[in-house]
Amino acid sequence: MAALLEKIKRLLGREQEPVVEQAGLAEEFKARYLSFRQLLAANNKALELMSELEAAAGGGRVFGMSFLRSRTTALGVSVFQMTDLLGRLAPGKYPVLAPRLKQIQSQLESIAAPAEAGGGGELVLPLKAIDQSRAEEAGAKMANLGEMTNRLGLKVPPGFVVTAAAWRLLLSGGGLVQEISRRQQAADLENAAELFTLSSQLRQLIVDAPTPPELSEALAKAYAELATEAGGEVRVSLRSSALGEDSAEASFAGQYSTQLNVHPEFLEQTYKEVAASFYSPQAMHYRLVRGLRDDQLAMAVGCLAMVGGVSGGVAYTVSPLDPADRRVHLTAAWGLPRMVVDGEAAGDHFVVSREEPLTVVAHSVEDKQSELVCHDDEGVCRLELTGERATQPCLSQEQALEVARAALKLEEYYGGPQDVEWAYDRQQRLVMLQCRPLRPAEAKAAAPAPQGEPGGPEALIHGGVTASPGAGAGAIHWVQRDSDALTFPPGAVLALPRPAPRWAALVGKAAAVVSARGGAAGHLATVCREYGVPALFGLGPELEVLQQGSEVTVDAGARAVYAGRLDELLQRPNKRPAFMNGSPVHRLLSRSLELISPLTLLDPDSNEFQPDNARTLHDITRFCHEKSVKEMFSFGKEHHFPQRSSKQLFYKVPMQWWVLNLDDGFTQEIRGKHVRLEEIACLPMLAVWEGMVAIPWAGPPAAGGRGLASVLFEATANPSLTTGVKTRYAQRNYFMVAKHFMNLQSRFGFHFCAVEALAGERRRENYISFSFKGGAADAARRLGRVRFIGGIMDELGFRVESTEDNLNARLERNEQEATLEALKAVGYLLMHTRQLDIIMGNPRSVAHYQDKIRADLELIRGGQAPGQKASQPS
Amino acid sequence: MSDNNQISVLLVDDEENFREALARRLNRRGLMVSQEADGEAALARLGDEAPDVVLLDVKMPGLDGLEVLRRIKQARPLTEVILLTGHAHLETSITGLERGAFDYLLKPVPLEELVEKIHDAWEKKSVQERKIKAVQADGVKP
Repeated sequence: MAALLEKIKRLLGREQEPVVEQAGLAEEFKARYLSFRQLLAANNKALELMSELEAAAGGGRVFGMSFLRSRTTALGVSVFQMTDLLGRLAPGKYPVLAPRLKQIQSQLESIAAPAEAGGGGELVLPLKAIDQSRAEEAGAKMANLGEMTNRLGLKVPPGFVVTAAAWRLLLSGGGLVQEISRRQQAADLENAAELFTLSSQLRQLIVDAPTPPELSEALAKAYAELATEAGGEVRVSLRSSALGEDSAEASFAGQYSTQLNVHPEFLEQTYKEVAASFYSPQAMHYRLVRGLRDDQLAMAVGCLAMVGGVSGGVAYTVSPLDPADRRVHLTAAWGLPRMVVDGEAAGDHFVVSREEPLTVVAHSVEDKQSELVCHDDEGVCRLELTGERATQPCLSQEQALEVARAALKLEEYYGGPQDVEWAYDRQQRLVMLQCRPLRPAEAKAAAPAPQGEPGGPEALIHGGVTASPGAGAGAIHWVQRDSDALTFPPGAVLALPRPAPRWAALVGKAAAVVSARGGAAGHLATVCREYGVPALFGLGPELEVLQQGSEVTVDAGARAVYAGRLDELLQRPNKRPAFMNGSPVHRLLSRSLELISPLTLLDPDSNEFQPDNARTLHDITRFCHEKSVKEMFSFGKEHHFPQRSSKQLFYKVPMQWWVLNLDDGFTQEIRGKHVRLEEIACLPMLAVWEGMVAIPWAGPPAAGGRGLASVLFEATANPSLTTGVKTRYAQRNYFMVAKHFMNLQSRFGFHFCAVEALAGERRRENYISFSFKGGAADAARRLGRVRFIGGIMDELGFRVESTEDNLNARLERNEQEATLEALKAVGYLLMHTRQLDIIMGNPRSVAHYQDKIRADLELIRGGQAPGQKASQPS
Repeated sequence: MSDNNQISVLLVDDEENFREALARRLNRRGLMVSQEADGEAALARLGDEAPDVVLLDVKMPGLDGLEVLRRIKQARPLTEVILLTGHAHLETSITGLERGAFDYLLKPVPLEELVEKIHDAWEKKSVQERKIKAVQADGVKP
């Protein structure tokens, strides 16, 4: 063994130090380097997750609880890994760190904890026992219905409510809650295909779930009582009544299912189907964009004796389209009101003045094609209308006034405009089916109708009913079945044969909605108004002239569709309401971020830089990163392990640079004091170096070595420059290197600069992090410089952040080649920004240097202008 | 870095479709993949041929993934375990890491990323093994 070593020594022929057998130490160092690399990887992941969360809070994207949970969990994992790995690099050195992290984590967890699923409670409540105070059990819709009859004396169908407690009981069986959350975790709900698939899976899970025996019993008993009350076997309607539904903030119009004329034999099964519509695509999407938390909501289901109506419809106590129009608007159809609610028919229209005595001030009667009636056995069917009834109004003047009066009574009681569903039963009695707050559209100046204007564009189609005002343009995309919905491109014009509520999930992505049938009173129209998406319904068979993919402009206010894109009509873009802001999920994110992103441990040299002062996860990552770098530096020295101590860089002469090889950063093992540039194998370091020396510095000489980089090229140490600097560590410029990794720390006086980079095969893991702090100049100049450098880094494609005179810039996920190119620019900036202190006071010279730097960078990067950003992460 | 063929991976997940599909894809990447549907079976397998890396589901019928993890690390401290789960739960994740899991990944993980993670875990295991060997060779107290 000894002979072999001698031979190696002779071969190397370099300045010799005694070689000891240190295989254990070498392997120990390798293990440490691996821990360090893992720590850096965890650091990058954590920073990425933090910026993703911050971007989400900043708006412009839609996210739900599963996004929040998965990101904060992943963040927790990364930060924990960092503390754990620092513990390996410095065992027992920071005992406070782990408990401090635990504290922050548990605070975070208590913020994001799932809402208490209130156990217990009645599974079933009779409608007679319900008013607003039971909304938490019965859901808003049924609580309203109970209130209408029990407080206001309006007639409603007899019935009962299967409560939120029943829903929780159903879901608690067989780990359904966990399974649902697990499947949601993996899905991207903004992607229509995934949304529809997931929705179908979740509904199937619920429908397939065994009904808990106590729920079966409660249902059977409640139905028996209802049958007794109604005087015999009755069919029922099952209506969703979600918690939080129909509140003023969130209308949920038509997102859940209603089943009409259900035979008692199928009561249990149908209950589950209606309850499962909690996960209808439109409901899931609605909760997502509204930032509503699934775990804070629940599904109650109303079970009401079926009203086999003669006619029915919807009443709005003010115009849903024009806030200035305070008259009551009724839409009515023969048979069940569903024709109107589902937007199948435009319906007969009645306008009633609200002042006593109420009068019908306008009405229009549609040529009605069909009506929806209860089937004898179960379900509903459509009957063609012929003869007189097709053209007859389906409400008498008296009936219109009676409906209007009832609606106004509800408006007065609830203190705001209402959207009321009603029916006339076979005995011609008015029965109320539901009511909810109405949110009229924003006031919008009607666009000037270009119709008839000389030289104005000719409309492809003209007419229909404004369901939501405004104008929008895009390519026509017809949707008739689910498979069409899956391919709906964002920004297209949604074209429908009929405005079924199930397409609500697409509305938020549409530029405009057009439909052959329907009017302003349907659920989908409500959703369009809520999203601020222009909608023109009831256009008739003419709509079919619109070809799939053809570009059109829809002016819903002026009731016209034009070929091509007419920018003059789109002058006043519809401002999409920012639903997420202030929503429960958004509030949760904001509160979580307070514990995540602010960086308060800023200065590693201060006495405050301690784990127990860490307030946020960002602080913890900052602390771990800083200390891990120090630990890597000190190992060789502490263990008398020269191969892993730093070597002075020898480039023509010994430089004020020390280089520590972490692994494969040198072309060969070096035992002496110096390492030559040609012995450096570290690609990032060589790139930085190339940038430093590419263009000689042409500025005025730095007086007395002021400026960060003035020391960089001082061929020999000038001891006078280093007086007053605190530690030996602080006097030097260090590179830590491996083949694909580099960490550079440069410090002189008050200046501090660090560059860290990984440029390897895995594009996903590559990054450059550049930080810069301080300067001896006055505060204004320091800030000026931070802004100046930040501006240039930004042009290079870095993500730049600055707090006070700290600058942090990151570039991530680029190919190795692009990362190395960017490092050359960083090297150049290290060298050439040294004069900036001096010139910062003078705007003319700032501009001059800016131009020079841009030109130089272009030269260095082989003609690639700094403005051309490096390729962005995909 | 390494030849994929050297790395043996045990995939433990009760969801058969997911497990089979993932095993096939990892096999195609040249990893030696075996599979088990539950914790007991996975632990039984440790007796004869310990895999380099275990991909372990957390929520499984029978033995819970965290318990399986504990027993694996007890029996084979050098075997690296990556938790792969659909449940984003902070406390579980931290418990997992405290019990020595290499990482806690949320499904769905892009295949590329998963393969890289397996490599990283394998690298850690090899470095540990070499370190132990070297320390023994040096005769230095570990």
